[in-house]
Amino acid sequence: MLKRTQPPRWAARLLEWFCSDDWLEEIQGDLEERFLRNVDLFGERSAKRQYVAQVFGFVRRFAWRDKKSSTPLQMKMMISNYFKIAWRNLVRSKSFSAINISGLALGMASAILIFLWIEDEKSIGTHYKNTSDLYRIMEREFTDGKIVADEDTPGLLADELKRQFPEIIYAAGLSSSESHVLTAGNKTTRQRGNFAGEDWLKMYEIPLLAGTYSALKSPGSIAVSRKLAETYFSDPEKAFGQAIRFGNGKDYQITAVYEDLPAQAPDKYEFLLNWDDYLSREKWLKEWTNFGPGTRILLRSDADPKQVNARLKWFLKGLNKDFSSGYFVNLFLMAEKDAYLHSNFKDGYLDGGRIDYVRLLAIIAVFLLLIATINFMNLATARSVKRAREVGVRKVVGADRGLLIGQFIGEAVLLTAMATVVAIALVYFILPFFNQLTDKQLFLPFGKPVFWFYMAGLLIFTGLLAGSYPAFFLSSLNPVKILKGTLRFGSGAKLFRRGLVVFQFVLSMLLIVGTAVVYRQLQYLQTKNLGYNRENLISIPLEGELSSKYDIFKEDLLRQSGIQSVTFMHTSPLNNGNTTEGVSWPGKSPAAVISFHNTATGYDFAKTMKVKFKDGRDFNKAFATDSSSYIINETAAKKIGYKNPVGQPLTFWDKPGKIVGLVEDFHFNSLHDPIRPLIIRLAEWKAGSILVRTEPGQTKEALSGLEAVYKKINPRFPFTYSFVDEGYQKLYKSESIVGVLATIFAGLAIFIACLGLFGLAAFTAEQRIKKIGVRKVLGASVSGIVAMLSQDFLRLVVVAILIASPLAWYVMSRWLENFAYKVDMSWLVFVLSGLLVAFIGLLTISYQSIKAALMNPVKSLKSE
Amino acid sequence: MKRIYLGEFEEIVLLTVAVLGDGAYGVSISDAIEEQTGRSASLSAVHAALHRLQEKSMLHSRMGEATAERGGRRKRLFTVTALGNRTLNEIRTVRNRMWDSISPQNFPAVSI
Repeated sequence: MLKRTQPPRWAARLLEWFCSDDWLEEIQGDLEERFLRNVDLFGERSAKRQYVAQVFGFVRRFAWRDKKSSTPLQMKMMISNYFKIAWRNLVRSKSFSAINISGLALGMASAILIFLWIEDEKSIGTHYKNTSDLYRIMEREFTDGKIVADEDTPGLLADELKRQFPEIIYAAGLSSSESHVLTAGNKTTRQRGNFAGEDWLKMYEIPLLAGTYSALKSPGSIAVSRKLAETYFSDPEKAFGQAIRFGNGKDYQITAVYEDLPAQAPDKYEFLLNWDDYLSREKWLKEWTNFGPGTRILLRSDADPKQVNARLKWFLKGLNKDFSSGYFVNLFLMAEKDAYLHSNFKDGYLDGGRIDYVRLLAIIAVFLLLIATINFMNLATARSVKRAREVGVRKVVGADRGLLIGQFIGEAVLLTAMATVVAIALVYFILPFFNQLTDKQLFLPFGKPVFWFYMAGLLIFTGLLAGSYPAFFLSSLNPVKILKGTLRFGSGAKLFRRGLVVFQFVLSMLLIVGTAVVYRQLQYLQTKNLGYNRENLISIPLEGELSSKYDIFKEDLLRQSGIQSVTFMHTSPLNNGNTTEGVSWPGKSPAAVISFHNTATGYDFAKTMKVKFKDGRDFNKAFATDSSSYIINETAAKKIGYKNPVGQPLTFWDKPGKIVGLVEDFHFNSLHDPIRPLIIRLAEWKAGSILVRTEPGQTKEALSGLEAVYKKINPRFPFTYSFVDEGYQKLYKSESIVGVLATIFAGLAIFIACLGLFGLAAFTAEQRIKKIGVRKVLGASVSGIVAMLSQDFLRLVVVAILIASPLAWYVMSRWLENFAYKVDMSWLVFVLSGLLVAFIGLLTISYQSIKAALMNPVKSLKSE
Repeated sequence: MKRIYLGEFEEIVLLTVAVLGDGAYGVSISDAIEEQTGRSASLSAVHAALHRLQEKSMLHSRMGEATAERGGRRKRLFTVTALGNRTLNEIRTVRNRMWDSISPQNFPAVSI
């Protein structure tokens, strides 16, 4: 038989797709009949063309397939039935529901908290109207093969940039923050502020309450915050034009009052002073060879930052006369919005910063959510036997798979919705404590639609994730087998469930090991021998009358009880950023450029700091030549190359002298940095901070003596002091905050995981109730049964520990690389963390298994 | 007088179904219309009209036997209902009455 010509297949398919079933058969038939006739009459091609045309002719309303096969009323009934069933399930198994909801709520609450924290971190420095065009000028210094990058720039850079770059609208310098004692009327307080270029206020569009944007134009002018104005003059308007006296006796006139800076502002200052005042005080900054203050610019919005960057790179070449093949400085741009989070430079190039913590916490948030949703999945699939019958009946009466999936996902979303409400309430109550912990002002932005949008997103994401597996699993069951009672759950589902438990505990273990390592490192930092004794050391700013009457002050202090010794230092003992290349010695290679940290101190420096001498002596009044004597640390001696440095010549800042002392290396910066070469000279003038060593255990007496002497000698200044060890801890503030956060969230993670384990154990015990009964009747001991029930779970936990350990080791050794001085990754951490996880897991299961083992077998066996 | 309105094409389709008697289905109707009136009627137009007529209860349909020439598919066979019959009669009566009332001098085109 000849093969008959067929109509175009795609057109036939199209017809099948859109045409309603009622009409399809006859239309297909009619079309085919006509087609065959047309083939005979006009040939195949023409017939096909006509067929297609006719199919399109049928695209008419009457022939369309009606999508809604069931009527709306039926749908409504089904949905209300779903709700009813969901609610009944919720109520019937209260403990499971409670575990699910509380687990999800805890996970979501943590996620919300972390999300708020991250948003806040990300918002810092991005609140300006022209954020995308604001940049910081950074320098990358190449010295002797070493590369260092920071924000320090020459003092004249801002003005010069504005002259040379047409793309730069505004440019302003910013000095490092200074603390000053300010007096107006009869009020005297200590305030922090900066010197800033004239463009500063208009560049950042800081809202002014009084005055104009040109307020910082002339020397002697000061712009103050609303808070400061209200402190001194009760009213911002009244403050305008008033004079305010600084601790050094100089008067400044208030030419502007600005609105208090928002929490997102990265620079915090209560007052701003004129830039020329700064340069005339720090004359060295007028030299292009010196680096100190920061420089900020605003680019035209149509400017290309890449081009500016390229031209900026060698901008200092003609200006800085020190440039050589071994020493040069490149400038580059850093977007203001990135500056806060990306602030770490390793060997001159960007290497994370706070963004690492943001990422870390984001990962933790995802982990917590995953753990909570896995609880849900596990419990739902474990209990699927109970729901299987329902699925069978629904399928028999005509529910298709899509509907069942919808039902189970809907149930998950419903449960998640309840969890979301609980989570938001939780966050609302926890937030004040969280704020205190993180030193932030976070709040739940109920008024913003974006917040609800995110909440809905979180709800749907979590709900879908939690509901997906149970929905697909349950809806795939074969109704015939279910209803015949021959349904056996394959090993696949069991394996999957076990896999999920393992996954949960891998995450928990990761968090616990991570927390343990962070904690050990922090502990290490806080107890590390710095090379000097930071305890019982008090620091007070050297200012006012103290600089002229320092010697009397010191003498008086030493007569007080509880005070051992007194000295002063130009820099802080915790943070020394002063570096210089201006050091030379006989035999130094002319090409070598070595950067030395340096500071100037008073007499008794080593005695007060308790720095140990390897060789030589401290500065001494008995030696008149000590004004050109130097003390160096071991690293400096190595750099210079002297075998016995004491007595050797050294020229510092063109001042030839001798090395009189060699001290053991001590830390004068945070432990993120290695110890660098240091040169200490005898201070020519009194400035910086006074350091007072007190007798251990007599801090109180020492402080009262200190205050009395201070009030007598420096009466115009409020007495302030700080403990050096407290300041030291502040160096690691971000680490300790993250450490605390990580601990809390790791605890939560294991808690949520255990909630799930608890539920699962309860379920297994319930399933095996007959088996346990039979065993007990036959004489099994309680401990034997407990062991039997615990074994399975414990095995999973052990597998999780084995998987998590290498992962944790890898991640944490990368984190430790941030520190120049760090703890070892001890195997003990892994063993202890593993034991902890196993112990908590066992504890969780044991409640259920002991309960099951103690049950009366008569009860479980009598009913069948 | 209230009556159900019929479009011109609908009327022709209804008449054709009446003409064809037992063998009225999509293709045969379409062919018959072409034969009788000389104008071509597409299958989809015919089906649409049949659908409308059925909704107006002028037609009744049932599925016929499967035939090989239609790829084994059944035909839907249409018959005129009582209402359809009455409607056709009414239309005819109205037309006839109107024809009859035309005076011969106004009616040059027709020569009787």
